[in-house]
Amino acid sequence: MTTPYPTINEWVVSDAARRATLAGVRPAGRAVRESGAFWLGAREAIARVAVVVLPKGRGVEESIGHWRVTPEVFGEISRWAKPRGLTLLGIAHTHVRGVPARLSWSDRHRSVCVPGILSVVIGNGGEDDDHDKWGWYVYDEDDYRELLPPELTQRVRSNSTDAVEVLYADTEGVWPLTS
Amino acid sequence: MTASEEATAVEITADQRSGKEVDVTVDYLPATAAFHHEYPRTETLATVRTDAMVFFGVRDRQERDKYEYFLEFDGSRITNTSQSLGELLGPHKRKAEFHLVEQITPGSTCK
Repeated sequence: MTTPYPTINEWVVSDAARRATLAGVRPAGRAVRESGAFWLGAREAIARVAVVVLPKGRGVEESIGHWRVTPEVFGEISRWAKPRGLTLLGIAHTHVRGVPARLSWSDRHRSVCVPGILSVVIGNGGEDDDHDKWGWYVYDEDDYRELLPPELTQRVRSNSTDAVEVLYADTEGVWPLTS
Repeated sequence: MTASEEATAVEITADQRSGKEVDVTVDYLPATAAFHHEYPRTETLATVRTDAMVFFGVRDRQERDKYEYFLEFDGSRITNTSQSLGELLGPHKRKAEFHLVEQITPGSTCK
């Protein structure tokens, strides 16, 4: 039987994907609330983040201490993504100013726990442009472990050329940012 | 009974004997492959959920609180897993597509 989680050697998180993520989480961060984004793409040896989904509104809770995405929103994203051959590659979320950009207990235990999934923590409510200051973790051997240099620089690459699709999601569906 | 009705009756009986009446597919957002299995209509959704979770290598967790996985069908989370596939689908549908979903609550506090 083939694994539903093929090995990922490298993730490509383009500048556009990072910018879209930051733009999506900053409004909540400026209101001292946590927020986040789902990163989708084809799960391959080199996995590129092709879509940034920003859960907002119904079924999403952004608060000072947590960011909650209900199963209904998770389901809407899944129903939109699967026919397009997209897989969840990672989840990025913020911690508010003064809270380290490191995985908390909740981040480790109240989120997706499957091999190769990225969990990225952006500090200062999303104001940190420098992704080297973000916390980068991968789920591996039953827990998240931090990706540190040189593994981080070898396995998480950026580029300035890949485009990204940006979408909103709530309990009613998934739709483009522009509509 | 007409010949057509007889044929249908025979087909249904054969399906029931073989236990293959509903083609079930379960997708999971982080996975590249879907779970596929054929179940009798009498099979409960609890069994489908459990089998899908085994396939996807996930399990409910009870640590400081309960972390659960749910089946989603037609945009709704299934809460009554004692219900059978037949009860969910009605008498005619032979295929069912589910999504395995979860509630994520990352955050800096642990309440």
